[in-house]
Amino acid sequence: MYREDTPALELRGLTKRYDDGTLALEDFDLKIPAGAFFGLLGPNGAGKTTLISAVCNLLRVTDGEVLVFGEPHDGLDARSWVGLAEQDINLDRFLTVKETLVYHGGYFGMKDPGPRADELIDAFGLQAKRDVRAPRLSGGQRRRLLLARALMHKPRLVILDEPTAGVDFELRMDLWRYIRQLHAEGTTILLTTHYLEEAEELCEEIALIRGGHLIARDSAEGLREHFGVSRLTDVYVKAMAS
Amino acid sequence: MVWLCKRETLRVSKLWTQTVLAPVVSSILFILVFGLSLGGRIKQVGGVDYEVFIVPGLITMGMVQAAYSNNASTIFQARFDRYVNDVLSAPMRPWQMSFGFTVGGVVRALAIGLALLVLAFFLVDVPVKHPFELALAMALGLVLFASLGLVVGIYAETFDHTSFIQNIVILPLTFVGGVFYSIDILPSPWQELSHFNPIFYLVNAVRYGFLGESDVSILLSLAVTAALAIPAYLWAQHLFTTGKRLKD
Repeated sequence: MYREDTPALELRGLTKRYDDGTLALEDFDLKIPAGAFFGLLGPNGAGKTTLISAVCNLLRVTDGEVLVFGEPHDGLDARSWVGLAEQDINLDRFLTVKETLVYHGGYFGMKDPGPRADELIDAFGLQAKRDVRAPRLSGGQRRRLLLARALMHKPRLVILDEPTAGVDFELRMDLWRYIRQLHAEGTTILLTTHYLEEAEELCEEIALIRGGHLIARDSAEGLREHFGVSRLTDVYVKAMAS
Repeated sequence: MVWLCKRETLRVSKLWTQTVLAPVVSSILFILVFGLSLGGRIKQVGGVDYEVFIVPGLITMGMVQAAYSNNASTIFQARFDRYVNDVLSAPMRPWQMSFGFTVGGVVRALAIGLALLVLAFFLVDVPVKHPFELALAMALGLVLFASLGLVVGIYAETFDHTSFIQNIVILPLTFVGGVFYSIDILPSPWQELSHFNPIFYLVNAVRYGFLGESDVSILLSLAVTAALAIPAYLWAQHLFTTGKRLKD
C-alpha cells in the first residue's frame, strides 16, 4: 500500500465558531496518514461537514491550522491535491456532463481536460448523458457525476461527504467499487457516512466525533475491543451516549 | 481563471435570448418609440436631433443594467446552488475569482452595446466623435456595475434582493440621469440635484464620446465614474479575499 511520512491531512487545534455563536469544532486535532482509507462517523451536527469544509477552503476557520500533505490548506498546491464530493448535489445547472468535468479540470489547472473527462464519463457510465445538463440527470447519475468531478483533477486526497446517502443498493455497490479502486491506486480517502456497515466495510480507520470533539479513533476491530462490544453499531451507541 | 472566464461567457451565450436579444430589443424600442414620437415635438437638444441625442444614454442604460444583472444573478445562483464551492476550493487566487466572475457581465454588456451601436448607426446615423473617451467611459461604467452586481449577488439572501437594487436604485437613477433629456431644461432644484446622481456623469461621459456634447466636463464625468468604479471593484475583490458571505 502507498504510504509516505507526511500525513495526507493534519488538523492542529482546529476551531470553528459560526457567526451565530455555534461552536462546530473546538481545538480539534487529527492526523490522517497518506494512503489511508479513513472514516469519520458522528451524528448530524457533530462537525463532520464543518471539518471537511475547513479543509477545502469553504469556510473561514476561527482558529487552528490545517495542513494537506504538509502544506497550508489554503495554498494553491494544497488545493490542487484535494478532491471533494459534497453531501448535497451541487452541480452547475448551466453545464452538461462533459462541460462539468472539463470546466472543473480547467479550474484545477489541467491544460487539456477533455480526454480525462471522457475517461471518467466512460468509467462512471455516463456516456449517454454526455451532452445533458445536470438538472436533467437522475439522482443516481448526478451522484456519479459528483464523484467523477471530485476525481477529475486526480487529487491525492479525496474527501467524500456521505457519498451514498439516499442512493439505491446497486449504485451504492458501484460507488464502493470506484472508491475501493481509487484507494488501491494509492489515493488517500476521507469518508463521512451515516452507514456504519459502510464504514466497517471500507475504512481502515474510523474516528467518532460528537459536538465538535474527537471521541475515539481506531480500526473497526479496535473500537469494538475498546468499547467491549461485538458490533460497530453498539460502539457508536456507546460512544455517543458517553 | 481562463476557465472561469470561459464558463461565465458560456452562460451568457447559452442564454443569449435572455441575456442579449431581450435588452437589445427593448433598447431599440425605446429609440423607435421615444425618438419617433417625441422627436417630432422636441426636434433638437443642444443642436443634436432628439432621436440621436437619446442613443448614448440608452446604450449606457442597456449595458450597465446587463453588467449588473448578469453578475448579480450568476454569483447568486452559484451561491444558492452551492456550485460556487467548485470555484472556491480550486487553486485560484481571490483576484482571479473576482475577475473571472466579472467577465460574464462585461462580455454580455459589450455584446448588447455593439448590437445597439450597429442598429443605432443604421436607424439614426449616430456618430462617434471621441472614441477614446467613449471606450474609457464604457470601461469604467462596466467595471462599476459588474462589480456592484457581484457585491449585491454575494450579499443577497434571495433573488428578490438583486432585483430590488436593479428596479429601485439603478433603473430610476438611470432614468433621471439624463438619458432622455439634458438637465439644462430642468428647473431648480432638480438641475442641481441631478449632480448628485452618479449615473448622470456616466451617461454624460458616454454622450460626449458619441456626440461631443455633455452637460458637464468630460474630465469630471470620468473622474466621478472612476471614483465609484475603483472602490466597487475593490469591494468585490475584498469579499473574495476574505470569503465574507461566500464562506459562511
